[in-house]
Amino acid sequence: MTNPISSDKIESEDIDPQFTERIVEAGADRIRTCIQCGTCSSVCPSGRRTAFRTRELMRKAVLGLKDEVLASPDLWLCATCYTCLERCPREIKVTDAIIIMRNMAVDEGFMLPQHRKASQKLISTGHAVPIDDANRKVRKDLGLDELPPTTHSKKKALRDVQKIMKKTGFKKLIEGQAEEGA
Amino acid sequence: MASARIGIFLCHCGSNIKGVVDFDRLLEGVKGLPDVEHVEDYKFVCSKPGQQILKDRVKEYRLNRIVIASCSPRMHEPTFRTVMREAGLNPYLLEIANIREHVSWVHSDDSDAATEKAIDLVRMSVARARLLEPLEETEVTVRKSTMVVGAGIAGISAALDLADAGYQVYLVEKEPTIGGHMARWDKTFPTLDCSSCILTPRMAQAGSHPNIELLTLAEVEKVDGFVGNFEVTVRQKPRYVDLEKCTACGDCLEVCPVDVPSEFDSNLGYRNAIYIPFAQAVPSAYTLDMENCLGIDAVRCGKCKDACEAGAIFYDDHMKELTFKVGTIIVATGFEVFDATEKAEYGYGTFPNVVNIAEIERMLNSAGPTQGHVTRPSDLKEPKRIVYIQCVGSRDQRTNRYCSRICCMTAIKQARMIRDKTGADVYIFYIDLRAFGKGYEEFMEDTAAAGVSFIRGRVGEIIEEKENNLTVRGEDTLLGKPIDLENVDMVVLSTGVVPPKDAKKIAQVLNLSQSPDGFLLEAHPKLRPVDSFNDGIFVAGMSQGPKDIPDAVAQAKAAAAGAMSMMGKGKISVEPYYSKVDEELCAGCHICVSVCPYNAITVNQRDKAEVNPALCKGCGTCTATCASGAISSQHYTDGQIAAMIEEFLSAHE
Repeated sequence: MTNPISSDKIESEDIDPQFTERIVEAGADRIRTCIQCGTCSSVCPSGRRTAFRTRELMRKAVLGLKDEVLASPDLWLCATCYTCLERCPREIKVTDAIIIMRNMAVDEGFMLPQHRKASQKLISTGHAVPIDDANRKVRKDLGLDELPPTTHSKKKALRDVQKIMKKTGFKKLIEGQAEEGA
Repeated sequence: MASARIGIFLCHCGSNIKGVVDFDRLLEGVKGLPDVEHVEDYKFVCSKPGQQILKDRVKEYRLNRIVIASCSPRMHEPTFRTVMREAGLNPYLLEIANIREHVSWVHSDDSDAATEKAIDLVRMSVARARLLEPLEETEVTVRKSTMVVGAGIAGISAALDLADAGYQVYLVEKEPTIGGHMARWDKTFPTLDCSSCILTPRMAQAGSHPNIELLTLAEVEKVDGFVGNFEVTVRQKPRYVDLEKCTACGDCLEVCPVDVPSEFDSNLGYRNAIYIPFAQAVPSAYTLDMENCLGIDAVRCGKCKDACEAGAIFYDDHMKELTFKVGTIIVATGFEVFDATEKAEYGYGTFPNVVNIAEIERMLNSAGPTQGHVTRPSDLKEPKRIVYIQCVGSRDQRTNRYCSRICCMTAIKQARMIRDKTGADVYIFYIDLRAFGKGYEEFMEDTAAAGVSFIRGRVGEIIEEKENNLTVRGEDTLLGKPIDLENVDMVVLSTGVVPPKDAKKIAQVLNLSQSPDGFLLEAHPKLRPVDSFNDGIFVAGMSQGPKDIPDAVAQAKAAAAGAMSMMGKGKISVEPYYSKVDEELCAGCHICVSVCPYNAITVNQRDKAEVNPALCKGCGTCTATCASGAISSQHYTDGQIAAMIEEFLSAHE
């Protein structure tokens, strides 16, 4: 930040009560009972290594700070280990809430380049992590076919997977509006 | 009786009813009903002028039945019944249609429908009013004696108030001594008064009061009878020591070869099989714990009996069943400390240096197992770095949803004492600090000034490291950063309070209700906080819900006052809502006896059912069950109810 004095203030237009409502309706039904005790953050293995703060994310969700939450790269730092959900004294489905918000973020076009890339690979090869030369060699050395019996070697299977991606809207989600006509 | 001349009075309740219900339509809708001689609306019928209008109209129109459409009869039925009496009418010739709680408050968004419902309710009330019968209240005498169940600080306080006022009190306690939990605590917040210094004089008073009969090792087994005339059966376990002869010299202790964990010391120390929980116990006598005694004959042991010069020990003591007749009962059965093994992530019961607040109380107490030193259980060293974790077993969906109310101040008090005594670093992890009582906030402020650190965040987990040291993982939520406190010598769990294990049995025996949290339920959360639903039985102290000592004592005094107000007068009138048996029709099948939830029905010498009006709550179960139609519920007769239904179903615009 260039300005040494930042004004980090919540404006009323930042608050979208519908955002909280949508999270509740999507299944994180007790999120509004959060008492900000910090149990979730304190047991979070990701938070111990990154700037990820589960409690803050829950607070922003309850207040309805939609844009701040959905645009934040932090949303993607949860490893979905479910420890927070297990320990929460309010029995809030914390991890579920995060997944719900991730889905909302992608719907609104927020996605990390790495995730988009992996998803594109899934569409083009049927694998989020396709086989590389090293693995081809290992397979060969072990006496296996160079390619596994998956979409890598079965062209029809790949076409089927791609059909599913298209029908479910996943392709559109990843490749955006531009691809629509294709 | 002369034919019905009904007067209808419609109350606006300010804008409470009139803001929703259209009174022009309501008046129109109920005017001209058969037998209705007068209809009138007024802004507050319950007010003095409103009452006067009612009385005037009774005279003017020679009314003999009154229908009032207003708030719930739970609010003003007693008021209007008094008005009826003053107007020279039997108070049971009154019918109230609830058009506030049942209409305007719940249908405030639909004025049309609300008005229609109000019209229906008033019409139904008129239908019932025609069939109302004058009833007389019965009076029952109230015995001037009370049984107080539980002799902690609440039970003792109630017992002393009653005994001082001249009433006979039976004080029942299941432990060998009275005093309850307060006898175990070291100091009290926020004044740091020594707990036993303020409690033991009260205990001694209770023990020697001419109007108090103390029953230790005793539990209430059965309660028969009704308000004013309870018959209570108490089972008293054998003490094997004669209270009269025992001088509490302690010679028996010297020779007893048995050591068992001491419950009084939260199992941090040992006691013998023959023991006295603490020096100031009342009654001041030893108790022989037969479950742990080696044997009472000379071959197996029998040493204590030989050592006892007073000859107080007698091995053939036995369980006694005693009955008492009392007018009122006060229940002050207390609480238990939450079992922290339920919160596995904190390691209580697994990590030796994780303890609870009750254990710290015993450590801090100079008469306790460590003579007042706070020590690590693993190596008995003095801890230099201590962490308190708040809300263990409280405010937690997985254990107890309620706030236990006492743990914030207990932790702050203990932290303050440890800090002052040893200079140890004390950290308190909290979600919210609730310092609600007089002088509590100031005490907390002083504790912060004394150097106790407060961290806002609930601890997620505790990890045991080398030498039983602990790492505490939480988040400082005010900074938004996870915090790992390492090399913690001891963690204290601020364990909450729970109803005693036998709370359900207590409730069953006394016919009381429990709230969803398991504590005993009061009759009204605001206006009848120490009454139970069972007339003549009061609740006080922790048995009703978490509270600190001042609140427990205040409730005890309130319960004593409630009992006194019944006993002082010596008699109370009972609403005539009891069932009546027509012996001509009764076939003597006894089915009503078996279905009555209040044991109010017996069979008389003529083999006919007979209802005890004082016991009967008018629930109507017998009326509905009786195959011969021999039982009717007074004031709620089949005819009255049927008339209301018929009126509702009959076609009208």
